[in-house]
Amino acid sequence: MSDTALTVPTTGSSWFTEKILMGATPREYARSLVTPFNLFAAVVLLAGAVAIIYRFIYGLGAVTNLSQVNAWGIWKGLNVITGVALGAGGYTLAAAVYILGLKEYRPVVRIGVLAGFLGYSFAVVGLLIDIGQPWRIPYPLVYSFGVTSVLFEVAWCMCLYLTVLILEFSPAVYEWLGWRGIRERTLHLSVGFVAFGVILSSMHQPSLGALFLMAPSKLHPLWYSQYLPTMFFVSSAVSGLTMVIAVSTLARWGMRDAFSPSLLARLPHLSLGLGRGAALLLFAYLFLKLQALIDGHHIDLLATGWGAWYLLEVIGFVAAPCLLMAYGSHHARLGLVRVAAFWALAGIILNRMNVSVIALNWNVADRYYPSTGEWLIAGALLMVAIVAFRWVCYRMPVLFDHPEFEAH
Amino acid sequence: MRLQRRTFLKLSVAGAASAAVAMPPPAAAQDVTDAERLGVLVDTTKCIGCRACEAACSEVNHLPEPAEAGDRAVLDTDRTPTTTAYTVVRHAGTNASGEDRFVKRQCMHCVEPACASACLVRALEKTAQGPVRYNADRCLGCRYCMVACPFGVPQFEYEKAVPYVKKCSFCIERQAQGLEPACTSICPTGALTFGNRNALIEEAKTRIYQNPDRYVHHIYGEHEVGGTSWMYITDVRFDQLGLPGGLGTAPAAGYAQDALSGVPVVMTVGPALLMGLYRFASRRDEVAGDRVAAEDHHV
Amino acid sequence: METHGILTLYSTKTIEYVVAISYLLLFIPFWRYVSAGRQNALAATRPARSLTTTMTEWFELAKDAAYHPGHAWAKLDGTTAALVGADDFAQKLVGPIHQIELPGVGTEVHQGSPAWRLHVDGKVVDMVSPVTGVVTAVNREAIDQPAVVKSDPYHQGWLLKVEGPRVAPTARGLLTGDLARRWIQQATDALRLRMTPDLGLALQDGGVPVDGLAAAIDQERWDEIAREHLLS
Repeated sequence: MSDTALTVPTTGSSWFTEKILMGATPREYARSLVTPFNLFAAVVLLAGAVAIIYRFIYGLGAVTNLSQVNAWGIWKGLNVITGVALGAGGYTLAAAVYILGLKEYRPVVRIGVLAGFLGYSFAVVGLLIDIGQPWRIPYPLVYSFGVTSVLFEVAWCMCLYLTVLILEFSPAVYEWLGWRGIRERTLHLSVGFVAFGVILSSMHQPSLGALFLMAPSKLHPLWYSQYLPTMFFVSSAVSGLTMVIAVSTLARWGMRDAFSPSLLARLPHLSLGLGRGAALLLFAYLFLKLQALIDGHHIDLLATGWGAWYLLEVIGFVAAPCLLMAYGSHHARLGLVRVAAFWALAGIILNRMNVSVIALNWNVADRYYPSTGEWLIAGALLMVAIVAFRWVCYRMPVLFDHPEFEAH
Repeated sequence: MRLQRRTFLKLSVAGAASAAVAMPPPAAAQDVTDAERLGVLVDTTKCIGCRACEAACSEVNHLPEPAEAGDRAVLDTDRTPTTTAYTVVRHAGTNASGEDRFVKRQCMHCVEPACASACLVRALEKTAQGPVRYNADRCLGCRYCMVACPFGVPQFEYEKAVPYVKKCSFCIERQAQGLEPACTSICPTGALTFGNRNALIEEAKTRIYQNPDRYVHHIYGEHEVGGTSWMYITDVRFDQLGLPGGLGTAPAAGYAQDALSGVPVVMTVGPALLMGLYRFASRRDEVAGDRVAAEDHHV
Repeated sequence: METHGILTLYSTKTIEYVVAISYLLLFIPFWRYVSAGRQNALAATRPARSLTTTMTEWFELAKDAAYHPGHAWAKLDGTTAALVGADDFAQKLVGPIHQIELPGVGTEVHQGSPAWRLHVDGKVVDMVSPVTGVVTAVNREAIDQPAVVKSDPYHQGWLLKVEGPRVAPTARGLLTGDLARRWIQQATDALRLRMTPDLGLALQDGGVPVDGLAAAIDQERWDEIAREHLLS
């Protein structure tokens, strides 16, 4: 056994005890769950669950601050649009390893794919909570096709891509379950999945930006641009690389014993490599922002309050992490690269929130602020993703290689 | 390796094929000739704020009676259509001569509507004759139409367990029976004129031409966002009426079409590009592997 | 298009071209600046050892050596001679070696029998020979400076040169390649089962306890643990 997470199962133990409880008795397992973080998580999840029940009993109006003017809130803006951006680790890492042949990053591919799967899954959950008739969510797929709509293309791509992510991650599940044959068959198709996933991502990541092309009178001119799709695409690639750095850093801090020592040993080198890629993409993104600013013919607006907010986003959360990432990459300083990764992610979150919520309807009197219920549900969905990530990593070969299977 | 490539090719062909099928031309409205389109001309110089149109609309649509039906003061509030009032009349200041002006707001039934273009299930559809129809059986409540509509028309039933979008239907059922919309048929002063859109534009131009000092020389909705079915002429500034300015003449439905047109390109070029990269990378690895193997022999 | 403020369309497009060209020109030095990190990273993280050593988790194994389960290694030199030493696991297990007692030239050593002695922290632990033969050379440096076994166990830290007709046949039974890796894995796991969690964490961070792993597990009876693993 090469990993520390799997304890030696006692003879006669059930599949449940071995696979789910990792060899502990139910009582031992329950006791091991009592940690400060888990208590905090439980509170967040409970509050979110209550809010979700409330939403479905009393309706959206009772739980949210949405209005006839502000139709999209943080569930769309944060959970869906930002969540999908943060889930870009799947296509970026998979493309790097399986298409560009950068095999040295193979140890961290599954981190990206898992984070991607969870990001997209909880984006879908967020959608189910946010839309008026969630049971009709299959409609654009099976019932009525609004082909002129960007949202239609986003719906299709997200559905297909979620399938691809499941298929890409499935070998890890099969290794956990010991299903050798189906794992082999799945691995045969992996390059096809990865390519399909890259194509899907290169369509729907930009399309999330294209959604807002429909609202030129509502999105503040500094953010409204024909380049929105391109900027969303490039920043999603940044997000993919920095998410893997960030997630692996947090995992190393919070669940180090789920790592194999060999991955821990290689993590600095891999993180630095991802950081170099992120620095270059941030550089390109920065220039895209500059082009969009010039093309938008609203440089005079930089002198306004919104202009200051825009400059904060671009200079403080794109240029600054870019420079820090470049400096950290050049001097091979892992700590700086990690800080820059979190900083760049904050910038991407800020950008997505600006475009979808903050700078949207910037000029109306009835400005939108999320309600408590909206925060609780948004937070709970994020927490479920974190807890799910942790649950999977302790059991399935994401942070370690399964000893009985050849590493793919 | 070969097996993977075959699958890869299969998927990319499938992608290209579906791309070819996926993109029919946008809004059916373009197929309809201009000549057949219907519209309404709203001449606010004739509106007296009697709100008969509101009463007629609520009756025909089985909605509750308009708010404070007899109370004129309500006209001074900042009213917009709601989920239970598809059209509202507002007091919109006075003109240069001190006469009160009122404006009726409702769905504009745009020629190339943003909402219909944005709707991912075609719950909102532009019909040939003019009305933008809402199909409640398709709507899933995503509210993208509300984001897209520059006039803020669609109203969402946030308070309901099964919420729908509500808006003026242009009395599409009445029109199917050859009748006028309820509001235009009941208007006592002729502020609302229902008819062929081109004819109405001519009528509006005639009125402006005959009274150049009275009217603002612009028909709001003739070209805004590609043209709307409901058009306004007035003797005050349009923003005083609450009609948004700066909308441009490009059809709102077309705003995202440039971005969407990239999709078939990605689906066709993408597989080939990725395939090429993959082959390049594997060839590079092969060469490197040969080199390492050769080195190993020397050790 | 609506009014554009201070810029006309012509000057806008010109500026856009200028920005795009500047971007391309700046991108190359930026790329080189960032990529320099790759060399810096390699220099910082890779230990200065020969290319024949590989990391297998916490313990290094030399690719060109064969291993005896008692944690001695042998490198064949032709068919009748071999260089012999102690592996990385052994030196990490026992800790800082105070003195190494090596057999004299001409001594017979037998595979699996004690061949040399490690003096650590007042106690003595034997290690067994990986092959059978006669000692024809000893490493004076290892005797004078036992720390070389710690710093470079597979090259400068060699201990004995053993020759004889039985060297090659006995060497055939030693562990190499995947088998050696599997064996070190099992040895690691066996150790891990005895270790406290924070010791495990320290090892995962690359930090080996100063006094040796055996002493970190059991200060009093570390030599018994060591002898268990070293098969002496």
